[in-house]
Amino acid sequence: MNHRGGWALIQNTWQSWIQHRGFFFLLAFGWMLPLLVYLFIWSAAASDGAIAGLTQESLAGYYLILILTNQLTYATTNWTVGDNIRYGQISRWLLQPMSPIYHALSQEIAGKVVFMLFSVPITALLALIIRPQFNLSWGQALQFLPAIVLAWGLRFFWGYWLALLAFWVTRADSLLALQDSLIFLLGGHLAPFALLPPGMQTLARLLPFRYMSAFPVEVLTGQLGVQETLTGLAIQLGWTVLAIVLYRWVWTRGIRHYEAVGG
Amino acid sequence: MRYLKLIGAFFKISSQAELAYRVNFFIRLLHSGLNLLTGVLSLVVIFNQVEVIKGWDMPAALALLGVYLLLGALRGLFIGPSLESVAGMDGEIWTGTYDFTLLRPVDQQFLISVRHWRIFALVDLAMALGLLIYALVTLGTQLTIGMLLSFTLTLLAGVILLYAALLAFSALVFWNPSFLFTWVINDLFQLARYPVGLYPGWLRLVLTWVIPVGLMTTIPAQALVGTLSPLMLLLTLAFTLAAFLGATWLFRQGLKRYTSASS
Repeated sequence: MNHRGGWALIQNTWQSWIQHRGFFFLLAFGWMLPLLVYLFIWSAAASDGAIAGLTQESLAGYYLILILTNQLTYATTNWTVGDNIRYGQISRWLLQPMSPIYHALSQEIAGKVVFMLFSVPITALLALIIRPQFNLSWGQALQFLPAIVLAWGLRFFWGYWLALLAFWVTRADSLLALQDSLIFLLGGHLAPFALLPPGMQTLARLLPFRYMSAFPVEVLTGQLGVQETLTGLAIQLGWTVLAIVLYRWVWTRGIRHYEAVGG
Repeated sequence: MRYLKLIGAFFKISSQAELAYRVNFFIRLLHSGLNLLTGVLSLVVIFNQVEVIKGWDMPAALALLGVYLLLGALRGLFIGPSLESVAGMDGEIWTGTYDFTLLRPVDQQFLISVRHWRIFALVDLAMALGLLIYALVTLGTQLTIGMLLSFTLTLLAGVILLYAALLAFSALVFWNPSFLFTWVINDLFQLARYPVGLYPGWLRLVLTWVIPVGLMTTIPAQALVGTLSPLMLLLTLAFTLAAFLGATWLFRQGLKRYTSASS
């Protein structure tokens, strides 16, 4: 496998995306807004006192961190992989002497750099206005690292294997919309895990969607005990391994099925 | 009469084009269903924790969600697709094909506002009306003729305000064709999902009198719940008229700047 070519591609994509930053800033702005809505709604709900142990200030802190981690783990490439398969773009990638996953990875990395250029200053500004409260510690930050890396891996590979179904079905991107809805409901966007009704909490604990977005934030803001964090990390790791296995499996079968038309 | 006939023709042409892709209907159905489901579930989760937020209870918030979905459906039915084709991504102003639109012997603003229809958005419209009727029934006992009348008036005002905002943001493209202004207003419209009174003071002012997405849904819902003062009703109607005239003016000014695009 040619890793040097992959690194060159990563740099290339990143620099080209920074040129078109206006467009990507707009995307980042769009992802930020729904989370801001729920930040304000829960702040209003908690204005008469804490709900389930969460105060107005800690809710604000939770959502501001979630805005950043959500963009760090959101895999935009999964939306374009399907198009590339449908339009035959992927033929060219298959001929290049490196794994086609580098194309997805290069866009992932480029995306994170450009989105953070917009979101970090805006979130910092919002923090000055809203005055959130963060209970951070070095221990939590240390546990946060594996949680956020796994969250990205899980969300990326889970969306990637769904997107690869485009080898057989033309509108596989609907499954990605379904995934986004489930992340919204169970992944801590609509409400932090602690505020969900018991039934949804059970679903959130078992299904992969919470581990794609809210779990690292819960770890970082100290909402979880040691036992809960370790169990969460184990479940997260399990789903990530399954997602990678599924990706490998769908990819090898899809490639055999694939044929391009036209030139 | 001629204008009505034109709308009929536009609707027919758009529908014929879209009905060719039948699978898309089921995909639309899935997306519309998800949209309704996440909307209602959000309210269930929120009001499971608190009974009343700043004077809004579950039935009132449900009515507001109905208004929001109704406006969103109308936007998706024709306002959005029509204006997007002119000012959106790869729109006519950007590519220069707007030349051909300008040559048509009919009022420009009328033409660009009603030209493209998405027949599948009727599904959203039906779902929104269903939810609105359900909310009306749960509010049931306290409704008077006067409230229904002011609800109809303010709902109409909401539609006109939404149209005016979309038109104004589309018109800005004449000044800077490469920026997707229509995306900004689409993003901001999400804030109309909840009563404007739940947002912090500074944001409430902006969302009421600057970018009036707050007025669009909160005022009709207040009319239904009976908390709308006659003064606010008059102010909303006057503001709607001003917004419509202002957006029309801005569009005409922009039109004068159009110089086509050539390569």
